[in-house]
Formats: sequence, C-alpha cells, structure tokens
Amino acid sequence: MSLTPGQSLGVLILVTASSAFAQIDLGGEWAATFHEDLQHRGGVRLGDYTGLPLNESGWRKAQSWDESARSTFERQCIPHVVTYAMRGPANIRFSKIVDPVSGELQAYSLLGSYGRPRTIWMDGREHPSPLAPHTWAGFSTGHWERNMLVVETTHIKTGWLLRNGAPTSDLATMTEYYTRYGNYLMLASFVNDPIYLDEPFIRTSNFVLSMTTSADAWGNCGPAQIIDELGGRPKGWVPHYLPGQTPHIQEFLSKSGVPAEGARGGAATTYPEYIAKIERNELDNRIFPPPAPGKSFPRFVSPQTSEAEGEITVLPVQGNVYMLAGAGANMAVQVGDDGVLLVDSGDGKVTDKVIAAIRKLSTKPIRFIVDTSVNPDHMGGNERLAAVGHAPGGGRASDSAGPGAMVFAQEAVLATVSAPSGQKALLPVGAWPTESYPDWKELSLNNEAIQIFHAPAAHTDGDSLVFFRRSDVIATGDIFSTLTFPVIDKGGSINGVIDGLNRIIEITIPKDWQEGGTMVIPGHGRICDEADVVEYRDMVTIIRDRIQDSIKKGMTLDQVKAARPTLEYDSRYGSDSGPWTTSMFIEAVFRNLSKK
Amino acid sequence: MSMRIAAAPLLLLALGVPATPKTPKDDAPIDLTGNWVSVVTEDWRWRMLIPKKGDYTSVPLSAEGRKVADMWDPSQLATDGCRAYGAAALMRVPGRLHISWENDTTLRIDTDAGQQTRRLHFDKSQGTPTVQTWQGKSEAEWDRITQPGGLGVSLAQGPGKPGALKVMTTNLKAGYLRKNGVPYSDRTVMTEYFDRLAAYGTDWLTVFTIVDDPQYLNQPFITSTHFKREPDGSKWMPTPCEQDAGGERRAAP
Repeated sequence: MSLTPGQSLGVLILVTASSAFAQIDLGGEWAATFHEDLQHRGGVRLGDYTGLPLNESGWRKAQSWDESARSTFERQCIPHVVTYAMRGPANIRFSKIVDPVSGELQAYSLLGSYGRPRTIWMDGREHPSPLAPHTWAGFSTGHWERNMLVVETTHIKTGWLLRNGAPTSDLATMTEYYTRYGNYLMLASFVNDPIYLDEPFIRTSNFVLSMTTSADAWGNCGPAQIIDELGGRPKGWVPHYLPGQTPHIQEFLSKSGVPAEGARGGAATTYPEYIAKIERNELDNRIFPPPAPGKSFPRFVSPQTSEAEGEITVLPVQGNVYMLAGAGANMAVQVGDDGVLLVDSGDGKVTDKVIAAIRKLSTKPIRFIVDTSVNPDHMGGNERLAAVGHAPGGGRASDSAGPGAMVFAQEAVLATVSAPSGQKALLPVGAWPTESYPDWKELSLNNEAIQIFHAPAAHTDGDSLVFFRRSDVIATGDIFSTLTFPVIDKGGSINGVIDGLNRIIEITIPKDWQEGGTMVIPGHGRICDEADVVEYRDMVTIIRDRIQDSIKKGMTLDQVKAARPTLEYDSRYGSDSGPWTTSMFIEAVFRNLSKK
Repeated sequence: MSMRIAAAPLLLLALGVPATPKTPKDDAPIDLTGNWVSVVTEDWRWRMLIPKKGDYTSVPLSAEGRKVADMWDPSQLATDGCRAYGAAALMRVPGRLHISWENDTTLRIDTDAGQQTRRLHFDKSQGTPTVQTWQGKSEAEWDRITQPGGLGVSLAQGPGKPGALKVMTTNLKAGYLRKNGVPYSDRTVMTEYFDRLAAYGTDWLTVFTIVDDPQYLNQPFITSTHFKREPDGSKWMPTPCEQDAGGERRAAP
C-alpha cells in the first residue's frame, strides 16, 4: 500500500510526537496540602500510632522511644528520612536533569519537605549492591506507567514513619506513584518493612502546583552546628524508656479517647471490621501488654542480612580503601603505590579468590595485615596472605622466616593463638601475628596514617579498631556488625562492646545532615557511616539497660529471657540457631552484668 | 507498548481507515471493577472513631461552616441517618466498595457502609434531576492529558495519555464531611479522579477528591483515599445508614 502525502505526514507526526507522550511533566514547585492526617504531619502526638500497620516489634520499639534522642549530639542533624520526608510540612520541587547533549531525561531531582535532596534515576540503572551504604534519601529509580511516575527506593537508613518513634528498619523499601491531575499532584507511597510492619504501609499525599512558593533546601546542619542540648548528660547516653514505663502513652489515650489497642496501630486496626470490634469492646486495652510466651520473631533473611559465603564482592569505600566481603568476616583493603594493607584475612577457605580480588585492585605486594580479633573468620587467611606478601624493607621485623607481610594484632590475640615452646598452639606459627601491641599501634602506608586502637574486653579481649586517617575510613572488626547482635566471646563483655561502639562514634565525623563523612566497615554486613553505628549502639545500650534493670529487680536468667529484652530487634539481628543465638546473647549479657 | 496502543487510532486516521467508536466501557484504560476495601492509614481518629464535637481538624471550614459544625450535638448521631454517607464523604467512610459496569456508559459503585449506590454516567446527555440526593449527579470521563496546540506538528487534538477516571458530581443534598456534623452544603461540587496502581503484589484503587463548597469551605477540601483489592465479596457487611423512629435501620433512598 502506498501512502498519500497527507498520510505520510500523519505517520511522521505520529512518530515525532511519540516522545511527547512518553511522560507527563511533573516539573515545578508544588505546595503541600494538609487536609488529611494533619496531626500526623505537624507535631504528631507521642504515643499516637493510629493507622500504622506496625507489628509487635514496631509498636514496642515506638513505645521505648524517648523524644530526647533527637537532642543527642549524634542525632541533632538527622533530616527527614525518605520514608517520612514527603509528609513533612513543606513544599517540594521537581526538576528535570537532562543530558545536555542528547536532551534525554536522566533523572528527576526532588527537593524539599525537610528531607535530603533526592535523585530519581530515569536512565535504567541498577540499584547498588546490598552491601552499599544506606542514606536518608535512599537510592531511587523511576519509570513511567501510564500517566504515573513510579519510583522504587532502596538503601534507606533506619528511620521512622512518624516523628514520634514509629520505626522503620534499614531493610525497608519504598514504592511511590506520582500522578498529576491537572494542577494537582498525588503521591501514593508504600513502605514495605519486613521488620516493623505487618504489611506494606500506604499513604497518599497531595500537592498543588504553585506559582508563588519555593521549596527550601534547608541549608546545612553538620558538626559545626551541633551544640550540647541536653546539658550534663554523659557522652554515649541513650535516651529511652524501659518497657512499661513510657509516660506519654497514657497521656495520649486520655486526651484523645483512642483505645490503647487502636493507638498501638497494627494492620488489623486499619480495616473497616475493626470498627465493629471497637463497638463490641473486644480490644486488648492494656497499655503495655507483656510479650506472649513462646511467640517467635524469626530473623528476616535477605541479601542484606546474610553473607554470600565464598562469593567475593569488592566495593570501594572511600579514598584508598575498599571492602572485600564473602571470605568470612569483611576485609578492608587499602591500596596505593607502597603496596597493600589488609584488615583481617578472612576465614582462609577462599584465599585464592581473595588474592585474585586484591590483584584486581593492586599488583603491589601485601605489606601489612591487621587482625581485629582472634576469630578464625578474621585471621584464617593470615598464613597464605602473609606468605604472598612482602613487608617493607625486605622482611618481617621479628620473624626470620623470610619475606612476607607483617601481621599485627593486639597482644591477647597472639597469646591466644600461640603457645610456649613444646606445647600445641591454636594456629600454626605462619598464621600468628608477627607484631603485637598492648593498646595502640601506628602505621604509615601509601601516604596515609593508620591508627590502630585496642578496644578492651569488647567482642573479645583482643579487639582492634583500624582507622585510615586520610581515606577517613574505620574498620571495626566484630565490635560492630549489621547482621547480628554483638558476639561476646573470649574475654569480651557487653560494656566493653558499648565502649567500643562509643569509641567508633568518637572517631567518626559525619558530613552535613549526619551522613557520610567517616565511613565504617563493620566486621560483617554492609558499609556504614556514623549514623548506622549510632543506631546499633543505641540498640545494644537499650538491651543492656533492660537486662541491668531486670537484674536489679532480682530476676533470674530465665525470667529475663521470658521478658524478651531484645524483642523488637530479634527479627533483624536475632537467631534461634547457629553459632550465636539470641538466647546466648542474652545469657552472655546477663552473666556479664551479674558479676560483682 | 502502551504508547503504541494509545497512538493506534491516530495511525488508522492517518491511513484513512475509519475508526469504530468505542463505548466508555470498552475504552477504559484501567479496570476499576471488582471488590475493594478501604485501608484506613490516614485520619484514623476521624474515620474509625466518631470525632468529638467541634473537632474539624484539617477541614478548611469557613466561619459559617464552623458555626454549623459547632451546633452539632452528639445526641444527633441516632437521627443523622445518611448525612455522613453523601458522595462528598462516602469514599472516606471505612467500608467496602463493589464497582461494576451497570451498562456500557454507567459505572456503578456500591458501598456496604451506608448501603449507598453511586452511578457515574459517561453519557452526559442526561438532564439534571430535579431532586438533590445524597449521591447527586455524577458525570464521568476517562481523563486524558492532551498536548496544548501551537506547534506546527503538534498533536493538539490527539487522544493524550490514558489516565484516570475523572468524575464531576453536582446536585448533592447537604450532608456531613465527617460524622460529627462537619458540613457541606447543597452547593457543593465535587471532582474526583479514580486511579489504579500496584505495589508489593497488591492492587490498589485511589480516589483523589476535591470538594468545593462556596458556603461552608474557604478553599477546596482535598483528600486522597485508598482501597485494596479483595478477591471476592465475602467480607461484604451491608450496614444501612438510616434509622427509623424505632431504631431499626433502613437503607437510604
């Protein structure tokens, strides 16, 4: 069939116009409207979790939250996390980021509402590795479905749904639909959090196109702006309420008339049939119902909570430092013209792969290895990795075995793995540290100062923190993990762990908005920054305080376990099986704190 | 893919092939039919409970509207009947919806809470009823965002991107935006956009609502309400909204 000139023009128009149909213009300033959920957006009441599908872990965590937490040094500059940011009482700005050459849309920039500026990538890129850092804004990609911009966000820091402690975990993800109806914009957001929600939480927020307002960037908030807001509180103080002692719950119930069960939220309370339950007065209106005996809060298994054993992943952290995961404990790899420094050597099961991965980063010899603790998953690769290395100056200072990397560890590590002449040692001599130190050690390699600090009686009695001063990265060993409760072993203690975590927080300095700055490589899990360590420190401190309080009340170990002091953290960090169970953790803390 | 579908009538037009007019039912870019349940994650205290007298939090009432709201008394609850189930409030009432095509040009929404029926008419040739009702008169169209004209090759009159269901409702009987007597007048005009989306394996219906009442509101009252798809109507709990003098409930006319 041949086309007439008019028909050809029609087809031409059709083709050239197709890109215009590809998207709706969301660009511009949008003013928020507050005709619904107002009291959850501006000055939400403490104790009001109505309408939130919080599970038991969620509402218990919310109930323990103390408003003073926001005034601590470490939290003053935290912005609205993305799971809440669009509910903030402020305007937003959508801007296009366009490739200057091709003219194609690369991303949207979304600014405002007290949150950090968001970039919504439209270029089809993948989300980062599960081991990549999390941020307040998360990592967002977008695509169009019909007339709606659909945004998927991952890598979100531990945060909140409401500014009254209603929590989200760092496993939360979010799907958003931005839909334009004339000069209105509707955002439907879904937060999915396997740790703290019964089911995905949907909220809709509305905006009006504005010709006269402007979204604000909210300036800066960083270490320079932080002041002592709490006056006289010791460093490391973690504000929280012990179970059943939160005063504001009763206050909210009295003033609002909301039944206690409804105030706790939960998916069941959000469906119409709950009205009949209220009318029939079939509610559990105890304000602080005790945990049900035997109820399980199983660990949520995902790529973020598990280790891909044997599969080596290398991620750049910052400066000259990389994180190598998959060979047991995380390893830090510092590279440069002088050679390679390793923090920990893995479990030794896949050392060939480790060497191959290191060789992709640097062909220079391994000069130093620092063991952060005595555990086999941290120093299992010592012997082989040291053997393929070459210490500066041609040989190891205290070992006549010939060329090889120098291996450093706190002296308790050496004492544990070695043995006096004639006795059997835990590890072969080639795996031993070649140098040991009691409290600290300084190194310099690749034009970078490296400080090693002993953290006494923490995870074990021989833990070390390794701080790369120029790269601004700290490797923590097992004092800090994003996978489990702290493992307390071989001379370790709960207060030593907390002291170690506080030492990390002292060393780390965030950039603006309590994010980035000094980066942290944990013993296990993903790359972090100070805010992540603070969250973990707070958890460990809260659990310590609860068990301490129980001991003061004369409770036995069994009674302490029955009180579930770790409940709201169990599905994130706990385990009912394996080498370090929740029960073992509670028992270790109990025995530590019971010592006179 | 969807671009091609949207552009297909144009292609036929360009090729000189006459297109057969579709009914609104056949032309639906989204399927709104089925069973839906409201999930009350917002305004819980004002929707799941009966708010206290004088609590009109977040509703942009005018001075006259506040005066009327303040006159409400909780004792009226027993006799308020269907006032809180009119179209301007109905989608905010916790309950279930059953949406179906009554015919090729009428989409029907039944609610179990209040046992109300809304008819969304795509055929706009129908006249205005003489009597105002709780659900009023609703005219519907599939909303398509079209290109403005001006450019030599623009598709100014093109079909646009398929969008939501847009509904304009008038002829409403005065009622309550909330059960505690927060009023809307019989001069109210309501615009709604019904849309579909999906997340984490669940289908959702959203209703973006603009209630414009020159008498009791000092600016348009904007809310958005969400409903989750249910597989069937097994949880349907019909609850009429009117009570007669003896306390027995009966359906509104």
